[in-house]
Amino acid sequence: MTAAPTGVPDTGGIRLTDLVRAELTKIRTLPATWIVLALTLAADTLLALPAATDVVRIAGSGGRTAAITQFGTVLLAPVYAFVAVPVFAAGGEYRGGQVRVSLLAAPDRNRFFLAKLLAVLGILTVAAILVVLPGHLTRRALGGADVAEATGGLSAEVTAYLLLGLVAYGFAMLVRTVVTPLAVLVVLPVLVSPLLRGLSPEVTRLLPHEATLSFLGMPEGPHLALDRPVGLSVVVAWAVTFVGAAWAVTLRRDG
Amino acid sequence: MIEVARLTKRYGRKLAVDDVGFTVRPGRVTGFLGPNGAGKSTTLRLLLGLDHPDGGTALIGGRRYRDLRHPLRTVGALLDGAGPVPERRGVDHLAWIAQSNRIPRRRVREVLDLVGLTGAAGQRVKGYSLGMGQRLGIAAALLGDPEVLVLDEPVNGLDPDGIRWVRDLLREYAASGRTVLLSSHLMAETAGTADDAIVIAGGRIVAHGSLDDISAGHESLESAFFALTGDRRGLGGRGGRGGRGEW
Repeated sequence: MTAAPTGVPDTGGIRLTDLVRAELTKIRTLPATWIVLALTLAADTLLALPAATDVVRIAGSGGRTAAITQFGTVLLAPVYAFVAVPVFAAGGEYRGGQVRVSLLAAPDRNRFFLAKLLAVLGILTVAAILVVLPGHLTRRALGGADVAEATGGLSAEVTAYLLLGLVAYGFAMLVRTVVTPLAVLVVLPVLVSPLLRGLSPEVTRLLPHEATLSFLGMPEGPHLALDRPVGLSVVVAWAVTFVGAAWAVTLRRDG
Repeated sequence: MIEVARLTKRYGRKLAVDDVGFTVRPGRVTGFLGPNGAGKSTTLRLLLGLDHPDGGTALIGGRRYRDLRHPLRTVGALLDGAGPVPERRGVDHLAWIAQSNRIPRRRVREVLDLVGLTGAAGQRVKGYSLGMGQRLGIAAALLGDPEVLVLDEPVNGLDPDGIRWVRDLLREYAASGRTVLLSSHLMAETAGTADDAIVIAGGRIVAHGSLDDISAGHESLESAFFALTGDRRGLGGRGGRGGRGEW
């Protein structure tokens, strides 16, 4: 501690892009982001091997075995590591009181939320392509899917990752923690959905996980299936609802 | 210049800040004194736009904090409970703050050097000592070389050298015509640094003026403080350190 402060030149007003860059830096400089992306990439790529070759089969009902491609939940499992990226981006604001620093830097809550949302969208899009692409290439190389089929599958899976990521992001902003959204999003398909589907398949198929599986064309049984466009619409509705609620609550609660 | 007028804030039925008004002039260090739970932290949150007042105004340079065009170039703030994510490196914490307000990247290195954290810039914040964390907070406040400094207990956790450095920094800041509001419960430290003082207790301002005026008729600033706040200590609302009425 030696010198007095020096002047800082005025380089013009603060733009939305400045806030987005700051949010991107926040996400990029969290070690958890890279750990989670590495886990997702590894899981997605490893699952592509049995999916393409059918060398691993899973025990089903009646002692029969089925190809892993019949189990959409297993193939979609890596997304629940992936959604930790937006969860840490949002919930991390409330660790160490960073949100107060953020709001001092960006006092306009609308701009703060919008910048964060845009940064998360950008990261999720790029990251989803990077973690999903190797698995698709593996499936195409080993499974012989044609280019159109592979491309369509890739864009659908990236869209699914993006939308579930937005659901998780909105959820984390609402509850201001990283644990609850991750726990709930994992418990829903693993515990709640299997219990609920026998009682009310009409409701179960509207849950984010099941609607995503329908959108990807791999529903967990015909009674849970929605048309693919309907599945997409349902997941979009979940994402819009969670992000919209988080935005409204941020304006009210942190305002 | 900071101008607070008729500021009021309720949390439920509890009146945390009650018709508070004061002015903090440029060119002077102003101490903001009060027991825990007196309303200091609430007042600072209202001043910095982190909370909405139920009544009154808090202006910095004639504008609400939220209306400032360059918040971090105008006001540098160190607040209790406002810090980095522990897993982030110190330099990265300052980098995103700088980016958010278009502050040149070189300024990050300058303030790290200024607070003596250059060697620890690449460490994760969770490995910092209390004093290092405090220095990082001061570095963040200085990033924009702001016209106004609002510091809540800046010497907490600092070693004697660090305390003297903060004192000299604040004196230099005020001497250059800028505004310094220093919230503290350390009487001796405030007496050695501040020109003016505002004393708050039970959510109300009980004294406001030069240190000499406030201390007049008392042995020291500390005895004046006790005399002024004696029957109001701990009556306020959500104080930064829990509002327990403790010292």
